[in-house]
Formats: sequence, C-alpha cells, structure tokens
Amino acid sequence: MLPIFQLRDKTLMRLLRPIIAIGICLSLAFGASAQTLDSFDSSEYLIKAGFIYNFAKLVGWPQGAFAQTDSPIVIGILGTDPFGGIIDHILADKQIDARHFVIKRLKWGMDLKGCDILFIGSSEAVHLEEVIHSLKGLPVLTIGETPGFARRGCIINLVVEDNKVRFEVNLDAAKQADLNISSRLLALARIIPQSAADAR
Amino acid sequence: MSSIPKNNISLMASAGRILLLGMLSVSQVANVSASGPRSPQNVPDDPTKLSLEDLMNISVAKRPQKVADSAAAVFVITQEDIRRSGAASIPEALRMVPGLQVARIDENKWAIGSRGFNGRFDNKLLVLIDGRSVYTPLFSGVYWNVQDVVLEDVERIEVIRGPGATLWGANAVDGVINIITKSAKNTQGGLVTAEAGSEERTAESVRYGAKAGDKTYYRVYGKYYDWHPSIDTTGATASDGWHALRSGFRVDSNITTANSLTIQGDIYHDNFGETLTVPSLTSPTFSSTYPNNGYNSGGDLLGRWTHSFARSSTSLQMYYDRTNIADPTVFGDHESVYDIDFQHDIHLGENQELVWGLGYRSIQDNNGSSFTVALLPDHSSLNHYSAFVQDEVDLLKNRVHVTVGSKFEHNPFTGFEFEPNVRVLGTLTKEQSIWAAVSRAVRTPALTEEGLQLNEAIIPPGTPPLNSPLPVVEAIFGSPLFGSEDLLAYEVGYRVQATSSFSLDVTAFYNNYTNLRSAEPGAPILQGSPFPTYVVLPFVASNKMSGGTYGIEPFAEWKVLPRWKLSGSYSFLRMNIRKNADSLDPTPDIPNGASPRNQFYFRSSLDLPKHLEPDLMLRYVDQLPSLNIPSYYSLDFHIGWKPISKLQLSFGGQDLLNSRHLEFIPEFINTLPTEVRRTFYGGIAWTF
Repeated sequence: MLPIFQLRDKTLMRLLRPIIAIGICLSLAFGASAQTLDSFDSSEYLIKAGFIYNFAKLVGWPQGAFAQTDSPIVIGILGTDPFGGIIDHILADKQIDARHFVIKRLKWGMDLKGCDILFIGSSEAVHLEEVIHSLKGLPVLTIGETPGFARRGCIINLVVEDNKVRFEVNLDAAKQADLNISSRLLALARIIPQSAADAR
Repeated sequence: MSSIPKNNISLMASAGRILLLGMLSVSQVANVSASGPRSPQNVPDDPTKLSLEDLMNISVAKRPQKVADSAAAVFVITQEDIRRSGAASIPEALRMVPGLQVARIDENKWAIGSRGFNGRFDNKLLVLIDGRSVYTPLFSGVYWNVQDVVLEDVERIEVIRGPGATLWGANAVDGVINIITKSAKNTQGGLVTAEAGSEERTAESVRYGAKAGDKTYYRVYGKYYDWHPSIDTTGATASDGWHALRSGFRVDSNITTANSLTIQGDIYHDNFGETLTVPSLTSPTFSSTYPNNGYNSGGDLLGRWTHSFARSSTSLQMYYDRTNIADPTVFGDHESVYDIDFQHDIHLGENQELVWGLGYRSIQDNNGSSFTVALLPDHSSLNHYSAFVQDEVDLLKNRVHVTVGSKFEHNPFTGFEFEPNVRVLGTLTKEQSIWAAVSRAVRTPALTEEGLQLNEAIIPPGTPPLNSPLPVVEAIFGSPLFGSEDLLAYEVGYRVQATSSFSLDVTAFYNNYTNLRSAEPGAPILQGSPFPTYVVLPFVASNKMSGGTYGIEPFAEWKVLPRWKLSGSYSFLRMNIRKNADSLDPTPDIPNGASPRNQFYFRSSLDLPKHLEPDLMLRYVDQLPSLNIPSYYSLDFHIGWKPISKLQLSFGGQDLLNSRHLEFIPEFINTLPTEVRRTFYGGIAWTF
C-alpha cells in the first residue's frame, strides 16, 4: 500500500491547518467575483424564458387582440418574479412579426387586462381562480409554473421533471381565451383537462 | 410551503407517507443540494434561438431560489450526490448526512443511527423504500444487508432527523430515511453497470425499461455483488465475505389523468459470513469462536393507487414483505408483513390543508432457536392498527405556517399510543426562515424485548467473586412487562440563502427520553437442559433508563464558482442517558459512548469541461469511548467522466488517510468486527 497515507491524526492536523487557511483565503478572494458570476446562474429561468418566446411564436391571437401590426406583445409577470431580469435581457431586441416585447411586473389587484401573455408566479397560487376569472373571455395567454395550475384553468403550465422542463396545456382554457395553439406546440404538450369543480 | 404542496398533491403520484414526505422534498430539493447544475455549459446564452424540442432536452439547474420551507430537519441525497460520492451501497451514501451516525461493523453489517443510540440493533430509526417500511418487528431495527436497490435508479434519499411519528408512526423516533426510486417512466432503456475494486469487490447490475401501451411504463433489473472478506484487527483475513443476487421490477401507469397506479416488487438472496463467538457449556473456555455462514432471502410486492380530485387526493397502498434469516448455528427467522395504508388530503379553503389516514399491519413471525438465542413463542401473529390526522394552516398572509397533528395507534404489546406534534415555520424574509417543533414519539416493543433469551457469556465455575460451583450463564431476557420508550423532542431550525451562492441550514435539538430500555438483574434460575446443570443469571428488559440528548447540525453549501461547489456539515451530539434511581442494571452506560460527539463532512465538487467531475470528500468521526474506537479522518475521491453520452466511467479511492481502521463493535451478538481498508475502485455504466 501507499505508506505516504500512513499519517497519525496530529501530523494530519498539522498538514491540514495551512491547507484550510489557504483555502479560506482563496475562498474569500473568490467570494466577491463568485457572487456576480453566480447571479446569472438561473438556467431554469433562462430556459423558461426560451419557452415563453417559443409560445409567443406558436400561439395565434385573435384578430383585434393587437391594435396595430407592430403593437408590442405585452408580457405581465404577476407576483414574485422568478426571472430576475433574465427575461428582459433575453427578449430586449427580439421581435415576432414586427412585434417587440414589453415586460411588466404586476401585483395582485392590479389590472391584468393589458397583457397578451401573463406569467403567473407560484406566489399567486392562492388566488389563481380569481386571476383566471378576471381574464375570462380575454385573449390572454396565461402561463404558470406550479403543479396543478393547468388543471385549475391556466392555459400553459411549465413543470420541471427529472431536471427537464415540460409543459401542460389546458385546451378548454385556450378555447375560452380564443387563442389558437399550433399543432406543433400541442404535439409536445401534455394535455390536461379542466377539473370539473373549477370549470363552473 | 404554503403554496407549493397545496397544488402539488394532485400530481404527486406517490402515496401514503411518501406523499407527505414528497412535499417536504419539493421545497427542499431547491435548497439542499438540488438535482444540480450538472452541466451549465449546455445552457445556451440565447434560448430564443432554440426550438421547443431543443429546450425540452436541456437539463436545468434547480436554482436555490428560496429558502426551503419545511419545519423539520430534512436532508436530501440526490442521484447526483450518490453518483459523485462513489457510494457503493445505501449505507455508504448515508455517510454524507449531517446528524446521522454510520459505522461499518464488517463487510455485511452496519450500525446506523440518527442523533445517537447507534448500534447494529438501533431501534429508533425508521427506513422506507418506496413507501415500504423495512424495519423488522424482531428488534425494531433494520437489516441493512438486505436493503438494496440499483443505485442508478434512486431518485433521491430523504433523511429527516428527529421524530416523524405523527405521519410515520411508532419507531420513527430519532429519524426517518426514505429511499425513493425513479418512476419507471424515467428509467427507460437499458443500463449495464460493472464495478471492481481493490477490496476485491465486484458488482454488476442490469436494468431495462420500456413502454407498454400508451400510458404504462415498466422496468426490470438484476443486480449481483460480491464482497471478499476484510481483515480483522490483527491484519488476518476475516470470514466476513458476502455475496448477493437480487432482481425486481416496477410498473407505473397513468390509467387516466386522475388515476395513477404503481406496482413494484423485488426478490433477493444473499450469503454472508462472520466470525462468531457464542457461550458454550464445554470447559475450559466456556465459549466457542468459529467462522459462521448464513443466508438471507426474501421479497416484496407493493401496489399503490393514487386518485386526484379537484381539491383533494387519495392514495391506497398495499404491500407484502417476506424476510428469511437463516443463521444455522444461532437463529433462524421467517417474517411476513402485510400492510395496507389509506390517505386522504383535502384542501379546506385557500390557507388550509387537512390530511388523514388509516393503516393496518399484520406480522407473522416463525423462528427457530439455539442455545445462544431463543425467542418465545416460536411463532406469533401481531396486528397493528393506526390512524392519523394532520392540519396545516397558513397564517398572517402566509408568513407563518402551522402544522398540528397526531398519530393514534394500537399495538399488541402496549395497546394505544398517541404521537402528537406541533410545527411552526416562520418566513422572516424572502431569504430567511426559522422553524420550531415539539413532538412526542414512542418506540413500541419488539418481539425480542417481549420473549427473548440471549445467552451472552458464561462465567466458569469457581470464578470470583461469585465462586459458583456451577457455570453461570449471563442472559438477557425479554419481558412481557416491557413497555414503550418515550421521547419528547424540541427542535429549532434556521435557514438562510445569504447570497445567491451561499446557503446555510442549522438545526438544534433537545430530546428528552423516558422509559428507555435497561437490563435489570432477576432471580437466578437453575437449568439442566441441555446437560450439564447450570445457573442462569437473567438480565430482564425493563424501562428504567432516561435522560436527554442535545445537538446542533449546521449544513452549508457554497458555490464558489458556477462550476465549483463546496459543501460541508458539522454534527455535534451530546448524550446524557442515565439509569433511573431504582434501576439495578450493572451494565455500563453504552448508549452515551457509542455515538460520536463530533463529526464533520466536507465535499468539493468540480464540473470540468468534457463532463469530467472530480469530487473530494473529507470526513471526521470522533472517538467512541465506550467501544474504545479512536477518532478517524477519512478522505475519499471520485472522478466521473462521460466521454460519450452513453458511457459513464468512474474511478475513485476511499479511506486514503488510513491503511485500515475499525469503526464499530457490535452489541448483543458477538460477531468479530473487521476493519475498513483503503480501497481503490473503478466502474463503468453503459446506457442503451
């Protein structure tokens, strides 16, 4: 065997002490830079922003939903914002058919009707039904990321399974909002029926 | 966890106790270690350039977005943690959990405890594999050598330190370990693994998963391993070799969106060796030591049906579990467990959730005795009934989350038991939370504590101070008067996500135990069978020990760089267990000195380009004064490399700092403890 590893505890501690000390110093030095590097470590929301962009491309809004051909697509983020600036950054210079994106942060109680896409954060789980109700009949694509949201009336719900993002679509809810969801999107979706109790 | 579990329940395709534990984990996974940022390099800079199909193929890092929200000391071992640690078995994986004591006795025996009372026959820890309780009614502990799964198919191992009795019932006293395997849907395709190491161990496993029809997935597996004998304290080869073969399957079906069904089963057989010392009536030594071989075999079959309604969900789980222990010279046992559990979760309004459940468990035991170990009666049938109810309420705009509940159960030894708890979680800021809990738990008697006679040692005739003309057999006796052990536990915890890269989780506890087991001397008995005549000096199981334990368990995780993570934990444990004033138990205070007072675990995980993953782990375990085991450091490394997507190679070394060391000395049954040696190993995993 390797005799080099035959160390008694005391010797070991003597060896370890400087290593630990150096480690701490290095760590502190790295600390500051690590923070800034890490603030963008939200790959989940980077990917989810990509999903939202793709949904915007693959969903058809009814005629009249946009005032002009170059009216922006307004994305509302309701409740606690999990994107933390990523979505603004990603969509800043993007456009779909001459439409730019406008991102708005919204709180419960504010008027949601100006949105074309409404991302409903997990923090709004308790008043999801009221949110859905307030948008009834309006062409707003509601997107959630909380288990059970699609069943409760949200049109698209993002779910993370085995570290990968999947999505559910509630077709009844899409129909009510008069949104046309492309077959390409549906082919990848998990179709969720509206739960009977919430359909009302 | 105000909003998460409420909406999660309908999707949680697991039942019974797992359902509730699942909730804990959903929030916890985000915090603790997360099914991590494995390969940040494949996350694009601009995701809008990717199609939905591409986006769906990218693994995302669950960012530690908010402080975990469970009012309990939870630690989650993820699949990534298992792979990167190089753990070859479940006990090895458990070594990374703060607050647990894990010690290897020999190649096929482990002592695993939570917050003290560690031992081969530790009886205060409940272990579940996919919702199936694997504790044995024989001694209320776990046969660690027959609990195994294909480690690559484990989704996560959730460890809750402290009482979990309200949900899991008696014996979830100091902790619950919940081993959860992946759904068959997530183990599609083939996997072949092979591993070999310098400790002359080899392990192979094969798994294949496929789809049957539209909504049904299944997998089957086989696993074989062979551990060659280790060495004893003199350096001589011991007799503790071990080889085992196991096989099993799992089927998951989403019959309709509201109904899901899981059926799974396993079958196994293993052969083990040990060096055993047993008392013998033959002079002059009055004991005999010999290499002993035995085998374990068994199997299980479990079915679980989950149904979700709009605002509630139900689950029904049934299983059968059979364990055969054949140790021809000491003890043989066959036990069959039939278990059925029902659970119902109801959302009462927006801020309240009620969970209740019913359970029934039937145990059939048949055993065969020897001069060393005898259990009376030689066959028994036990029925356990239980019910529980728990309510969770959000108060003060979801800033305070209160959980109140109790388990009520009836067992054949002590009748009714109730195990209430109250847990409060307060969210201080988005990044910080505190929690506190008070719980009562009981450890109900095991079969051996009711009807055992274990002949421990023989005092030869004429030995002072007894100077008995006949051999005196010191024997441990069970007693029908033995009652439950009680625990009242107080816990507090604090969690903070200090920066986006640093998180800290601290738990402190004080446990007050009463009616712990002691061994009270009884009146000597004259016995003449087998010949010759001898005196039995009985030590009878009684409830005359009590006392407190306290400890603190901080765990921190720091992402120094996006591809470099450091994590570490420290476990401090102090035990003050004493015999009551009226106890005459002359045996030394074993529980206090058999669990380490200080332990730490430190790990560095790097993600290098080309899927190269080097990990370094350093562990310190304090001395065990009552067992004369010195403290030790253990340094392990593991390097994982994925040269192509279907192939995973690994290479590692364990215990680099010591050529060999002893970790534990077993209690009750005198088997020879063997040493853990420095080991190097390599492995390969091929997916197709």
